[in-house]
Amino acid sequence: MLSSSGRKFNLYALTWRLPIIFWQFIFFVGPVLFMVAMSFFLVKNYRMTEAFEFVNWSKMLSRGYFWDSYWYTVFIAGVSTICAMCIAFPAAFALAFRASESTRRWAIFLLIIPFFTSYLVRTFSWFVILSESGVINGMLGYIGLGPYTMLNTSFGTLVGYMTLTLPLVVILQTVTMANIDKNLIEAARNLGCSAFRTIWQVIIPLSKTGLIIAAIFCFILSFGDFVAPFYLGGSQEPTLPILILDTTKSGQQWPRAAVVAIMMMATLFAIAFAGIALAYRKKKGAK
Amino acid sequence: MSKPLVVFDKVQKHFGNFVAVKELDFEIREGEFLAIMGPSGCGKTTTLRMLAGLEAPSVGEIRLNDHVMNDVAPHERDTPLVWQSLALFPFLTARENVEFGLKMRGVDKAERRKRALKWLDKMDILEFADRDISTLSGGQKQRVALARSLVMEPQILLLDEPLSALDAHLVIRMQAVLTDLQRELGITFVYVTHSQSEAFAMADRVIIMGKGEIAQIGSPKDIYREPANQFVAEFVGRNNILSGKVASLSDDTARIATPSGDFTVPTKEVHLVKGQKASFVISADLLHISIDEPDARNKAHCKLISEEFVGSMVTLFLENSTGHEFKVQMQERELSKFDLKSGAEIWLSWDTASAHVLNEN
Amino acid sequence: MNPSRSLNVILGIYVAMVFAFVFAPIVFSMIFSFNSQRFPTIPLGEFTTEWYAKILADPDVWEAALNSLIVSCSTAVIATFLGFCTAYSDFRYNFRFKGPYLALILLPPTIPLIIMALAMLAWFSKIGMSGQIYSIIIAHSVLTAPFAMAVIRLRLNQMDPDLESAAWNLGGSEWQTMRYVIIPFCKPAIFSALFLTAAVSFDEFAVSWFVSGLNKTLPVIILEIVQGNIDPQVNAIGTFVFLISMTLVVLAQVFFASRQLKSIKT
Repeated sequence: MLSSSGRKFNLYALTWRLPIIFWQFIFFVGPVLFMVAMSFFLVKNYRMTEAFEFVNWSKMLSRGYFWDSYWYTVFIAGVSTICAMCIAFPAAFALAFRASESTRRWAIFLLIIPFFTSYLVRTFSWFVILSESGVINGMLGYIGLGPYTMLNTSFGTLVGYMTLTLPLVVILQTVTMANIDKNLIEAARNLGCSAFRTIWQVIIPLSKTGLIIAAIFCFILSFGDFVAPFYLGGSQEPTLPILILDTTKSGQQWPRAAVVAIMMMATLFAIAFAGIALAYRKKKGAK
Repeated sequence: MSKPLVVFDKVQKHFGNFVAVKELDFEIREGEFLAIMGPSGCGKTTTLRMLAGLEAPSVGEIRLNDHVMNDVAPHERDTPLVWQSLALFPFLTARENVEFGLKMRGVDKAERRKRALKWLDKMDILEFADRDISTLSGGQKQRVALARSLVMEPQILLLDEPLSALDAHLVIRMQAVLTDLQRELGITFVYVTHSQSEAFAMADRVIIMGKGEIAQIGSPKDIYREPANQFVAEFVGRNNILSGKVASLSDDTARIATPSGDFTVPTKEVHLVKGQKASFVISADLLHISIDEPDARNKAHCKLISEEFVGSMVTLFLENSTGHEFKVQMQERELSKFDLKSGAEIWLSWDTASAHVLNEN
Repeated sequence: MNPSRSLNVILGIYVAMVFAFVFAPIVFSMIFSFNSQRFPTIPLGEFTTEWYAKILADPDVWEAALNSLIVSCSTAVIATFLGFCTAYSDFRYNFRFKGPYLALILLPPTIPLIIMALAMLAWFSKIGMSGQIYSIIIAHSVLTAPFAMAVIRLRLNQMDPDLESAAWNLGGSEWQTMRYVIIPFCKPAIFSALFLTAAVSFDEFAVSWFVSGLNKTLPVIILEIVQGNIDPQVNAIGTFVFLISMTLVVLAQVFFASRQLKSIKT
């Protein structure tokens, strides 16, 4: 294997190696770099002209509404992550420790299904279910409650985020915890650890890496989603994705949208790196 | 015997800084059954892979029929290999597996089929021709793998530990199949193994490799009786190795002082100097035992530690007062005359001619 | 024993509730698609196929369905080809910059779709490729190739590393070996990857919406209807899209599982 890769020109090897390089450079690296470049372009008379000016950056970053939106998005994505992690944990715990191997496999298979169903349709379905004359208020009406306003609130946004992220978070948490050596838990129980202390002091530290990765994914998905805040949250407080949507689709201000997009990517990278560093910190210390 | 088919001319193989093969200089004769044996990591498989063109030598030349093979691609060689993992194609039937090489060489369909079936028949697995590989037993897969290589009708067949995955009784059966085949076809077999019993049972010549070098080349008997050095003697096992200093010299013998006593060894083939360090071996089957002290020049008083039976052969493990271990191999019915119990005290003795002095290195 | 049993019951109910939350929108969407009410509530209205009749009569929906079909089929082929090439390169070769090479294919799914959508839209406009069906196909291939790569790479992991050498040893050139050994071995994974990438492409709306121009796919139609008002047609289209995606996913799973069973036997 090594010997054949050592030759200078190997048509066979390059045939398999090059397609993805060309394709991703033209259609992935190209767009992303162009977007960065675009954030320095100018818009005159509704037409974009290539330039190298910082005007988009200074305009966007000096506006109050951008920062309001920025912190709101960070906040709501953070709340979404905490909710998803907390809601998923007991379920993942049950699937990892109380369910049989085959039940667990079926549960994971079922949780994969939502990824391949239209998220839009699911959101729309929630829209109908949660509306003031919808299914939930209809049911609550029988016991004399409500109607409650759930749409166009942060609660609505969170329901949408949960629809998007909960299946993934449950899967990741379940897989992580199912991989813990059961003997360690037995040992902790035998040594007199209560159930809750076992969870807190044995299970969570042992599955730390997986849990943090689940949280990172959850944050990325919530942070970048425009459907839930738009349709269920009513976009009264626009999140960054909605800002991108509005500036691109209606305002023709692509360069400003690019500024928002780059700020989003920078934030996500920072959070992902911080999370990964946190996830692997203890392992280094143990060496 | 006959002209060399393959020549390894000062061949070395490096992987980065790791030297897999230090220097190989040997010939493979036409029509011989050559075994290459050594512990894992000794470079034996690398040697075989270089012959098949799967690795290129870093230094030196490999010649096949006087053609330099270094730059010939693996698929342009005619050196079929029987793999340790068998490497049968799991998505093909037994017959399609055997046909594979012919298909690659552009042999037409009818001819391919005919030749594949002929070889499956020869290997006694014709009835499984259209079965999926996954449904065959270990022994049957082994035969498919052999047929797949032999259908190419090569001059030389390479085998890389082909029997290592089989049960013990199947190994013996397949050894017979392989030796019969080799005689019948008259082609050269190069057989890599770590198993002494496989190598000695089948091969005309054996190469013992250690740490990327050839430790000894010779017939199984030569290697067993007259190991070239301590590495070979230890690797071959079932040998008693004694080390000491040369105490005195006479015409064709020497007296060697060891912690276990003084012993006489033949010196026809070696040159010893008084006072130098020397080691010698005696094969386990050349030791005699007795209850009373024998009248012999070479003897040792020992305690019986344990016995190990393999069929009608038995190996005794003994220990003398200095803690040196001796191994004695004999027929079970011979041993039964003595009626020994564990811990029994007995005497060992051997003829001076049975000892073989090792080259120091 | 007793507290542990009651804990199990509570956890069981909890898991059921989580699953109910996850599947509620899917199930309700299907129910609503056969429900006569425009604003569905409890109690449900009468059974109707009105919404299905409506979408079937709508030429826009037909056109979008055709677009979706073209996009997901083409995406599947391109993404699986790219995924296969990359998986094989990773399996077979060690080379410099292999880390960045793999990052190149694996990175796109970690970037929010809205950002990819903006970047693709801008880039396609710049190079004059925007607003076409092939724009969506190209964008989707970038997004889905990693899935194909992962599926095929897992399959290659199960291959006896000697298999390729064995084929060369029997006189097969590298190209012949690819044709007669590697591809047949990977065939189940290749089909799996085709169905999987088709399913992902079939549901994707953000990037499609940005780069599609006038060539709308089904998810884009849904998006536009939803933007207007509550229209149960969405549920009918959604159910239809769901059934197609599920069929593709189940097919992918069947190919994936069947080869795993087979590899256990061998």
